[in-house]
Amino acid sequence: MEHAVKPHKRVRRWDKWTPYLFISPWIIGILLFTVGPLIFSLIMSFFDWPVTSSPKFIGLGNYTKMFTEDPQFYKSLLITLKFALFYVPLSLVTSLILAMLISQSVRGVKFFRTIFYLPAVVSGVAVSIIWGWIFNTKYGILNYALFLLGIEGPKWLIDPNSAIITIVIASAWGVGTMMLIFYTNIKSIPPDLYESASIDGAGPIRQFTHVTLPLITPTIFFNLITSTISALQQLTLVLLLTNGGPLKSTYFYGLFVYNNAFKHHKLGYASANAWFMFIIILLLTALIFKSSNAWVFYENEVKKERKKGGKKK
Amino acid sequence: MLETKRRSWFVVIILTMLFLSACGSGGAGSSSDEGQSGKATIRFATWDSEENLTLQQGLVDKFNEAHPDIQVSLEAYGSEYDTKIAAGMGAKDAPDVMYMWNYPTYKDALEPLDSYLEKEGADFKNNYYETLWNYNSADGKVLGLPVGYTTHVVYYNKDLFDKANVPYPKSDWTWDDLQAAAKKLNNPDESISGFAFSGTPDPYDFEMFLWGNGTAYVDDSGKTQGSLNSQKSVDVLTMFQNMLKDGYAITTEGSGSTEMKSGKVAMFTNGAWSIGSLKEAGINFGIVELPSFKDGSAVSIVSSSGISMSKDSKNKDAAWEFIKFWTSEEANKARLDYELPVLKSVVESEKLQDDELKKVFYHMLEMSEGYTPASFKVENWSEMSEKLALVFEQIFNPSTLMDPKAVLDDAAE
Repeated sequence: MEHAVKPHKRVRRWDKWTPYLFISPWIIGILLFTVGPLIFSLIMSFFDWPVTSSPKFIGLGNYTKMFTEDPQFYKSLLITLKFALFYVPLSLVTSLILAMLISQSVRGVKFFRTIFYLPAVVSGVAVSIIWGWIFNTKYGILNYALFLLGIEGPKWLIDPNSAIITIVIASAWGVGTMMLIFYTNIKSIPPDLYESASIDGAGPIRQFTHVTLPLITPTIFFNLITSTISALQQLTLVLLLTNGGPLKSTYFYGLFVYNNAFKHHKLGYASANAWFMFIIILLLTALIFKSSNAWVFYENEVKKERKKGGKKK
Repeated sequence: MLETKRRSWFVVIILTMLFLSACGSGGAGSSSDEGQSGKATIRFATWDSEENLTLQQGLVDKFNEAHPDIQVSLEAYGSEYDTKIAAGMGAKDAPDVMYMWNYPTYKDALEPLDSYLEKEGADFKNNYYETLWNYNSADGKVLGLPVGYTTHVVYYNKDLFDKANVPYPKSDWTWDDLQAAAKKLNNPDESISGFAFSGTPDPYDFEMFLWGNGTAYVDDSGKTQGSLNSQKSVDVLTMFQNMLKDGYAITTEGSGSTEMKSGKVAMFTNGAWSIGSLKEAGINFGIVELPSFKDGSAVSIVSSSGISMSKDSKNKDAAWEFIKFWTSEEANKARLDYELPVLKSVVESEKLQDDELKKVFYHMLEMSEGYTPASFKVENWSEMSEKLALVFEQIFNPSTLMDPKAVLDDAAE
C-alpha cells in the first residue's frame, strides 16, 4: 500500500496546475491582448509617437498638454459626463421596468422576453445604421410617425441641441443584458416573501418598493457600475451615427481618443487621454463601491447579524 | 502514475510553446517575406475594392508572369486603409509598395523617388501632367508616382435645364451666371433645387473656392491669420451661405450625387466619381468647368492618387520595377474605365481631349496649375482640417447659419 501512495503524492504537486490548464486560453488571451497592450499604452503615454517615425520620450508632456493646451479635451469630457448623467439612470430604469414586465406570468411572455433581448444580440454597427435611418430628419420613420400624429419632428441628428439626446435614446435600446440580469434576480426572490407581504396587506406597489427593490440592490449596484463604465466608453454609436457632429456636440471622449490616435496619428497623446479616462472610471467605481454600504443590501448580512444578535442574548 | 507526470510535463511544454509562438509571430512573419529561391517578394497595398480590385489583381498577375524573379502580392485594405497603413508603419511592417494620397502625413515613412526618376531620364517625368507632381511630393521631394487624378467640375441635369428653358452653362461662366441659372431652375412646388453643395464639405476640397477668389487657408509661411479670415475668404463663404438663405440652393450630407440621382437637383460640384453612378441612374447630365469668380478665376483642387515605396522595404529595386509597371501606359489604359490617365501620351493616343466628358477634367487640370493645398504647407493638417470642418458646419448648418466673418476671425486666431 505504502508503495502506491508515495507517487500519488508526487502527482498531487501537478494536480494544482490542472485548473490553470483549463483556463489557460483565457490567461494567454488576457496577457497578450489586455495586460500587454495596457502596460504598453501606459509607457507610450510618456512618449511623442507620430506612428510613421520613432517614438520620442517627453515625460509628462502629453499630460500637461492635455490639461493646459487642449480645449477639446475638456469639452469632450463634459459631453461624455453629460451623456452618462442622462444614460445611466435612464438605462437602469428602463431595464428594471422591462425586467418587471417580463417576469409577469402572462401569455406570450416568452415572445416578449426574446424581443426585448434582441437589440443586445444585434451588432453595434448594424444598430447604428438602423438608428441613422430612423432618425433621418427628412426621410426617417420616426419623424414620419410624428408627422402622422400632427407633430413636426425635431432635426434629431442635425440640430446640435437634440443630437446628444438622440444618442442617449439610441444607446438605451441596448439594455437587454441589464434587463436579463435584473430578471434572473427578480425570479430568484422566494415567492413566500410576496405571499406574506400580501397577507400583511401590501399592494403591488408596496410589494415592489418593500420586497423587490431591497432584494435586488446588489444587482442594481452591479448594473450601475457596468453601465457607468460603458457610458463613459461609448464610441461605436457616435463614430457611426454622427462622427462627433453636428458642430461637435457629440464629440465624445471615446471619439476624441480614437481620432487623436488614428486620425491625427498622435498615439502617445491618445494613450495619455485613455489613461486619464481609466483613472476617472477607477475613481467613480471606487466612489460607487464606497457608497454601496449605505444602500446595497445582502441577504447573508442580515443572517449574520441575526446570529450575532442571538449570541448576545 | 508516471504517465500522469509525463502528461503534466507535456502540458507545461505545450503552454510554453504557445507563448513563444504567439510572441514570435510578428518577427517570423516579416522574415519569411524575403522568400525562398532568391525571389523578391513585394507586398502591394490598395484601397480599392470590388470590380476595381479584380482588375488590379489581373494587372498584378500579369506583372508576376512577366517577372519570374519578383512575386507581388496584392493586399486590399478597403475603407480602413489609412489606419492599416499607419499601423503597419508603426510596427515597421509597412507594405513595400502602396497607394498614397496624403503625403504630408506619411512622408517620414516613404522613400524619396527623385534619384530613381533621374535614372529613367527626363522624358519619363515629362510625360506626366506637371500639376500632379506638386500633389505627389512633400518637402520638395517626390514621394510617389501619379496613378490617377480628378479635378472638380459642375454636373448639371440637362432635362431640368431644358424644362426651365435655361441654356446649358459654358466653360467660361461665372458664379453670377450659376446663381442666375439656379434661381430660374429652382422649383419649390416640385421640390427641385437649383444648386446643391455639401453642408459638411471636406476642407481639403473646399480650398479651391478660396483659390478661385485669390486667397487660401494659409499664407506661404503656414499662418491662417490674414488668409483664412481675409475679406476674399469671407466673400466666398458669404456667397455660399447666401445661396442657402435665398432658398434656391440646398446643403447635402454627401457630395450631392445622391440628390442629383433622384433628379431633384439641377447642379452640383464633384470630382469624376459621380459619372458612373449618374449614368447608371439614367440621368441626362452634362459636365462643365467650375465657374470663375468676378475678379478671380476658376481653380480646382486635384484629388490625386499615387503609388509610393516604403522606406523600410527590403527589395527596393524590385519595388521600383513594379511601380514603373503600375504607372506604365499599359496599366493606365487598363484602368481607363475608372481612372483618368495621368500620362500625356495615353491621353493623346486614347483621344481623351475629344471625349465630351473627360476633356473637361483635363481642361480644369491645366487651369489649376501652381496651387499647393494647405495640407502640404502646415504641419498638423488633420487637426486644422477638423477645425475647418467645424467652421463650415457653423456657417452652413441650418440651425446656426453663423456670420462667416465672425467664425473665420475666430478660427484664424
